[in-house]
Amino acid sequence: MKGLSGMSHARVIALAIAAGGLAACGGVKPQLAGQRQMATGDVQHAALATYVKPGDLDKYYLFYSGGHSGQVFVAGVPSMRHIATIPVFAPYPGTGYGFDEESRKMLGDFTWGDVHHPALSKTDGDYDGRWLFVNDNANNRLARIDLRDMKTKQILGPIPNTMGNHGSSMVTNNTEYALVATRFSVPLDGQYAPLEEYKTKYHGAVTGIRVDPKDGTMSVGWQIMTPPFDWDLGATGKGPSDGWAFWTSYNSEEAVGKLEVNASQKDRDYIAVVNWKAAEQAAKEGKTFDVGGTKMIDPAKVPGVMYLLPCGKSPHGVDVDPSGQWVICSGKLQPTSTVFSFEKIQQAIAKRDFKGDEAGIPVIEYDDTEIMEVPVGLGPLHTQFDGKGYAYTSLYVESAIAKWKLPPYAKGTDPKSLVVDKIPVQFNIGHLVTAEGDTRHPRGDWLVAMNKMSRGRHLNVGPSIPESSQLIDITGQKMNMVYESFTEPEPHFAQLVRAEVIKPIEFYPKAESKDPNAIWQPSEARVVRDAAHHTVEGKIYAIRSYYEPQRIQVQAGDTVILHITNAEQQRDEIHGFAVTSFDRNVVIDPGETKTVKFVARTSGVYPYYCTNFCSALHQEMQGYLEVVPPGRAMALYHNGQGVALSAPESAVADAR
Amino acid sequence: MLGTLLALVERRRTAVLVGAAVLVAAAITLPLWGMTLVSTQYPDGLRMVVYPAHIRGDISEINTLNHYIGMTPISDAFFSELRLLPAALGAIALAALVAALIRRAWATVPPLVLMAALAAYGMNAMHHRLYQFGHDLNPHAAIHIAPFTPPMLGQNQIAQFATYCYFSWGTILPLVAGVLLALVLAADLRDARRAPPALGPAARKLAAA
Repeated sequence: MKGLSGMSHARVIALAIAAGGLAACGGVKPQLAGQRQMATGDVQHAALATYVKPGDLDKYYLFYSGGHSGQVFVAGVPSMRHIATIPVFAPYPGTGYGFDEESRKMLGDFTWGDVHHPALSKTDGDYDGRWLFVNDNANNRLARIDLRDMKTKQILGPIPNTMGNHGSSMVTNNTEYALVATRFSVPLDGQYAPLEEYKTKYHGAVTGIRVDPKDGTMSVGWQIMTPPFDWDLGATGKGPSDGWAFWTSYNSEEAVGKLEVNASQKDRDYIAVVNWKAAEQAAKEGKTFDVGGTKMIDPAKVPGVMYLLPCGKSPHGVDVDPSGQWVICSGKLQPTSTVFSFEKIQQAIAKRDFKGDEAGIPVIEYDDTEIMEVPVGLGPLHTQFDGKGYAYTSLYVESAIAKWKLPPYAKGTDPKSLVVDKIPVQFNIGHLVTAEGDTRHPRGDWLVAMNKMSRGRHLNVGPSIPESSQLIDITGQKMNMVYESFTEPEPHFAQLVRAEVIKPIEFYPKAESKDPNAIWQPSEARVVRDAAHHTVEGKIYAIRSYYEPQRIQVQAGDTVILHITNAEQQRDEIHGFAVTSFDRNVVIDPGETKTVKFVARTSGVYPYYCTNFCSALHQEMQGYLEVVPPGRAMALYHNGQGVALSAPESAVADAR
Repeated sequence: MLGTLLALVERRRTAVLVGAAVLVAAAITLPLWGMTLVSTQYPDGLRMVVYPAHIRGDISEINTLNHYIGMTPISDAFFSELRLLPAALGAIALAALVAALIRRAWATVPPLVLMAALAAYGMNAMHHRLYQFGHDLNPHAAIHIAPFTPPMLGQNQIAQFATYCYFSWGTILPLVAGVLLALVLAADLRDARRAPPALGPAARKLAAA
């Protein structure tokens, strides 16, 4: 293999340590650590370029993954202001997520997730503004956010034979699939096998999660069984490479134990080159075997579904350029990004130009498919595009971004000349995102560097510190850093999409309400007690600034089910419903109905109140849950059961 | 001014009468009157638009806000007198059409009188309703304000809201029609003053012979 050892292993590591040491050194002011000095004119330019004056809107939505916070953050670009948090895998009392029955059911027994790679739905390779898919690396799930109301609508999983859903979520050209790859290889179907049998009993898998084109509902389509590598990150093809998907792997050594060393022994790892259309066809034709109800494809037995392509050592990102012709892979422990030609990959497959196999999966000849090894710098992780013929690769170790030229290249091009600009970032960049940078038509104006370390570039908040994100103007030949902001832990990847592509509603229109428990008049409020089943069920009406009814009687031990409708039809007239002492806070958007359920174990009086500030009389928006001790009369009911009508306590309310 | 208008109308009296009928008929589907409430938190304003047959706009939001001062909720049912309006406008349009067909001075009088009566009745009803809304306030309301009558036209301030009231096409078109009817009548009366006492068609035939 030519050129892959452009810099010795030992030298790279030595430099890595040196870079880390420099940043960590207490004596060096962080502002001086490799930052381009900004002249007054540049500061003015940067201020004007990023200032969004009160009342004006940002041009882009930035959907950040929230990492192990389990959420998605929404920011605006160019202001970089955090606008909202979309809760996905963890409860979020701010919007009542994880407290009402619907979201509690979606979360199941899990209380957190690890969101890495958000992916917007696409039509013809461009964002269509319908859904955002996000993965959970920890509990092997995939979630779908509907961008119409920016709410999590489905959490699929745990996905079978997947441990650490990291290589996800990669959306195909027309959102046929959201693709998934397991990071950790484990025995199939949740079985046990001792680690000694790692090479024989353990398997990896990549999965096609089908997406219903109408409503986005996700379901497991098929899986492809792989050798026990660790699958890392993926990309889907576009244009000529539509129908194909790519994932990087580390630990092709199939080692266990201290992977830092054991998985870094070989000079190269593999990219999985997967023909997902062929996999879909194979599943349709029944060329699968059953693993606990999942259709599993063995690529050794179904030719044409999967190939392996060697690439630089311990790669993270594999990325496909906007034209779909160039596949770019960067090995973290190589100072280069390798450009492969998709056309040459296809030729190699057609000519069966293979160099052996791994567990029956053909290995494509590296030398015949590689176009160029571009010396981007140290620790290349992830590449995005500007649609103007350039690629931008994040350099973790070097703490910088390299801008370099994509093919075609003239014969005899000096690889060094391809890197046209480099900008330091503060510090240790992981992913980067350019405006619509993974679509067929990147916008080429903004780039956001998502840095893993902020090392005190913000006011000191103690040892637990946020991450830093930096906004870089890429409209010119030279990259120009204009702003930075700090986010909660921990963005990995993001999607940067023009504001006009996303068209959310302002409130839930009453006419669209399908909840059978929705009520739109205070007179429809009802509380019914079923004494035989010790259950009280109520329909509660909420509007500025009262609930109907204002008192609810239950008996100690009753299961209480309350359906609360926010009857407002006005943007931002959000009402909360918290029952003191019961660990429940639901937040109901205008026109929405939510159900809260709990057991009223201990007798007493528990006020309920509106948690989301709604009006001048928000504080007065309250009522009383009377939990009556057994044996005491329940005045609101006839013989302790039946329909309880709240006394008309407010003549004003009643008039409505 | 009047002379110019009369000159314009003079030779096209039948067409002008038909036009007036059309204007009145068109008004049946158009808004009569509106109120827009603007405040800092409602920069685009909240709207109430009154049509002959119903009320449209941000009524539920206006009612939600008004309940704090104990105002009666606004609904289609509340402006019950509006139900008569389509029929009344239809009758006026028909009368104007009849006047166009008959083409006698006296025939222009009924639509004109009907129009004047309707205008007087409508203005009075509107004033009465506005008075009622601003005065018939629930004494148990959260916020007590001094009773008020929103003006029918122009700007006013109620708490944090600046209100803008205006007459819309449903009022303007019948008014224009009324002016047209009056002009035709004026032209007819002027002719009558100049010419010998009115000749019927039979007499005119005789005179021609």
